Amino acid sequence: MSAVAEAAGVSKWYGEVLGLNAFTASFGTGITGLVGPNGAGKSTLFKLLIGQLHANQGTLQLLGENPWNNVPMMRRLGYCPEHNQMYGWLSGQQFVEALLRLDGMPAAKASKEASAALKVVGLSGAAHRPTRTYSRGMRQRAKLAQALAHDPEVLILDEPLSGADPMARVQILRTIADFAKDGGHVLMSTHVLYEIERITNNIVLIHNGKAIASGDIHAIRALIDEHPHAVRFETSQPRQLAQALARMDHVVSLEVPAEDTLVIRTRKPDAFYKELPGIVADTKLEVRGLESPDDSLEAVFRYLVG
Amino acid sequence: MGVTESARRLWVVTSLTLRYLLGTRRVIAMLLLSAIPFILALSLAAGRVSAFNIDLFQRLMIPLFLQVVLIFVTLVNATTLIREEIEDNTLPYLLTRPISKPAVVLYKYIGYLVAVLVLLVPPIVLAYGVTEAYQGTTLATDLDVLGGFLVATLIGSAAYGAVFLFVSVLVRKPLAVGLLFGFVWESIVGSIPGDVPKLSVIHYLKSILQGMIAVGPMTTYGSDISAGIAVLILVGFSVAMIVLAMMLFQQMEFRQKA
Repeated sequence: MSAVAEAAGVSKWYGEVLGLNAFTASFGTGITGLVGPNGAGKSTLFKLLIGQLHANQGTLQLLGENPWNNVPMMRRLGYCPEHNQMYGWLSGQQFVEALLRLDGMPAAKASKEASAALKVVGLSGAAHRPTRTYSRGMRQRAKLAQALAHDPEVLILDEPLSGADPMARVQILRTIADFAKDGGHVLMSTHVLYEIERITNNIVLIHNGKAIASGDIHAIRALIDEHPHAVRFETSQPRQLAQALARMDHVVSLEVPAEDTLVIRTRKPDAFYKELPGIVADTKLEVRGLESPDDSLEAVFRYLVG
Repeated sequence: MGVTESARRLWVVTSLTLRYLLGTRRVIAMLLLSAIPFILALSLAAGRVSAFNIDLFQRLMIPLFLQVVLIFVTLVNATTLIREEIEDNTLPYLLTRPISKPAVVLYKYIGYLVAVLVLLVPPIVLAYGVTEAYQGTTLATDLDVLGGFLVATLIGSAAYGAVFLFVSVLVRKPLAVGLLFGFVWESIVGSIPGDVPKLSVIHYLKSILQGMIAVGPMTTYGSDISAGIAVLILVGFSVAMIVLAMMLFQQMEFRQKA
């Protein structure tokens, strides 16, 4: 297979708003990251790839097929939406099991496969809790579990790390990497380049609905390193967490904009993300979630598009 | 796709629909509303109202149950079937499985029908039981009345549900349009003399009652069709509405809500 997904001159507009603008790119085998700031068109592209939107112009193929209203193709696809809404009254086990039964799986097999998928994402302990009680990180993992439980050929993951706590991030990235190692293909969107960099070098940069660059991630790394990378923490102990993180020599600023928020900026995001889980585990500080405001990436994109 | 796999999908989607309609807190309001016929019958019996008999039961239940409770319960439940999934961003989970969009509509409608019948049938049966007990007759005395109301409830739930489901696929704010249809169109068109009431669902529901009940206010309604024909017309109308909803849904696009 040469390309998992291909888009040629794809445009999509919502009334007068342009979602994608003559987007042309090819997504190869293995893991490919779709990187761009919020509003760049990542979710629109993924909605087109899973057949929930219809392109106004251009041609789009996933696994060699047109995805629009393509019911049989859904067996080959696993999708993790950006939003965290789920059927809150279902437990994680019931949620994954119900969706597996929609694949036509018998009840006993669906139950077994759902348990296995929840174990893979590290949610076995919470499998029988209603999903409305899950944290953001747990929801991300439950969404990933339902996406991969039926053993699809390709996973389409829309911001799968958004809002997840450090431990959940490690688990999610490990699961994605293992899926790809076993021969699966992954298209994953993010507005944080460093997240995707840990599992692949193949990226497609998207900005204002256009693919502006694609290929090896290292070519733009130097450029990105010139812009301090911001990370926003959701925590009940922002000052204590700031003290712990200030020990990293690459952290250039710390800010507590609200009683439950800490924002830090670092010049070495890869080192930061590598060291973070250890620091949080050692200090036992509560981190409910973290995300990267995309202003640092936005600066890079502004540079790239002139 | 095999029959077994389709049956599994039907079971999952209808189960999810039933759990949503009957298993979440919203059901409390629906239960209270559906219980109005029973509460009214109990109140009349407790108040020892001398005129309370099967004739008064019919006179009260037609405007109260058929024209208010039935319409409101079907409206609230049918309009949430698809629209809530869209608003809650849960639809992608269903639509990224090997199940067609028209099948989702159909299976959800079946789940809706079961849910509203669970809500609407027991109160009307209990109200009938209270009436028979109060007038000192056995439960079998006026079975034609009970049968007429049960058929009208079943067919009315199917017809109104199909209209409201279609409206919910068609417009973003289906409740307002549904209210206009259920309470303005049905009331006004249904009460105009001549052939105009034939454009309303309530006309055919009243025709069912007229055809099935031997004695009571509906015997003089003046419909020129039998109960069987009225049932066929409403079933055909429901099928047409569902097919339209399925066709419309098949062409719909789903942009994630912000």
